[in-house]
Amino acid sequence: MSVEEEIKDIVSKIAHIDKSIITREGTFKEMKADSLDIVQALVAVEEKYDIEIPDEEAQKFTNFGDFVSFVEKEVAKKG
Amino acid sequence: MKPLQGKLALITGSGRGIGKATALKLASEGCDIVVNFFRRREAAEKTVEEIRALGVRAELVRANVGDPAKIAEMFDFVADKFGYLDIFISNAASGVGRPIFDIDEKAWNWTMDINAKALLLCAQRAVGLMAGRNGRIVSISSLGSKFVWPTYAAVGVSKAALEALTRYLAIEMAPHGICVNAVSASAVDTEALKFYIREGLVKDLKQTTPVGRMVTPEDVAGVVAFLCSDEAYMIRGQTIIVDGGTSVAPFAPMIQKGDG
Ligand SMILES: NC(=O)c1ccc[n+]([C@@H]2O[C@H](COP(=O)([O-])OP(=O)(O)OC[C@H]3O[C@@H](n4cnc5c(N)ncnc54)[C@H](OP(=O)(O)O)[C@@H]3O)[C@@H](O)[C@H]2O)c1
Repeated sequence: MSVEEEIKDIVSKIAHIDKSIITREGTFKEMKADSLDIVQALVAVEEKYDIEIPDEEAQKFTNFGDFVSFVEKEVAKKG
Repeated sequence: MKPLQGKLALITGSGRGIGKATALKLASEGCDIVVNFFRRREAAEKTVEEIRALGVRAELVRANVGDPAKIAEMFDFVADKFGYLDIFISNAASGVGRPIFDIDEKAWNWTMDINAKALLLCAQRAVGLMAGRNGRIVSISSLGSKFVWPTYAAVGVSKAALEALTRYLAIEMAPHGICVNAVSASAVDTEALKFYIREGLVKDLKQTTPVGRMVTPEDVAGVVAFLCSDEAYMIRGQTIIVDGGTSVAPFAPMIQKGDG
């Protein structure tokens, strides 16, 4: 499974949203994820890939795609 | 010699806000500091620099105190780097601002784990590191533990648990030479306020606090530092309220305005 698919899985489980409505262009707000869903999703993704996504970075994400790209970059850095 | 020279404090959530003010206050008294943060690395790194500029040692440890495994790692870090601990400040807090009927189990557990359970697990680990060192534990609470604030139920209840736990810890830890208390504040001018308040509340709070200004992070930090001093040795299991008089004079603003 790609990183994108894995993250979709995590977000859909935590925020109780259907995976099919999560798109790269979509925002957490449109997905009706609240701030607790978001922080729990970030923590779960951090743990899955053993990376850190500080709030200072997360605040720059404009949509789900930015989130995925950041994680992909961090995962690649780890090699 | 400064009063806390040679001592070490671990302060949860001390990258910013009240935790940061407490870190800087204890550091100014000569204390070495372990700064714990969760989401805001940049802020925490800046805090570490500010502490080091005061001439003491400062280390940074990331940990979500809502996760027992991460608490264990945080204390392992302190044990490896220093091998001892003198002061533990349970300051980190999180929570969901929701009316009672919107608090689901996930929100409840998140709030309780970070705000109340973390103190239990941290205190259990701190005991070993404080052996023979006359340790201090101070937890940071809020007046929402006793008074009802809108959308504050989950956090308020977690703070009530924190205060009760502080009393039990004080008694059960006394034989270990550890002195445990809490500091409780009314609304403090920090970022946390943004989550709970309506526009203009800060201005209103200034006017309605009997002292005539809001409580600052430094006000809270000063009382925490006092509880870590020799003078506070016989204070045990207490929750010291820092609120500029708000809780003893709830009707003062109305009377002053002449509405009564
Ligand atoms: N502000 C008030 O009006 C007020 C009033 C009374 C009492 N208090 C109490 O004072 C304490 C500090 O509040 P504040 O106003 O300074 O809060 P704040 O500005 O919201 O900061 C919260 C702090 O807690 C940390 N934190 C949150 N969740 C954490 C977790 N799971 N693990 C580790 N750290 C975590 C944060 O770290 P990151 O930023 O790195 O995530 C941050 O340093 C809290 O116990 C609060 O309840 C505040």
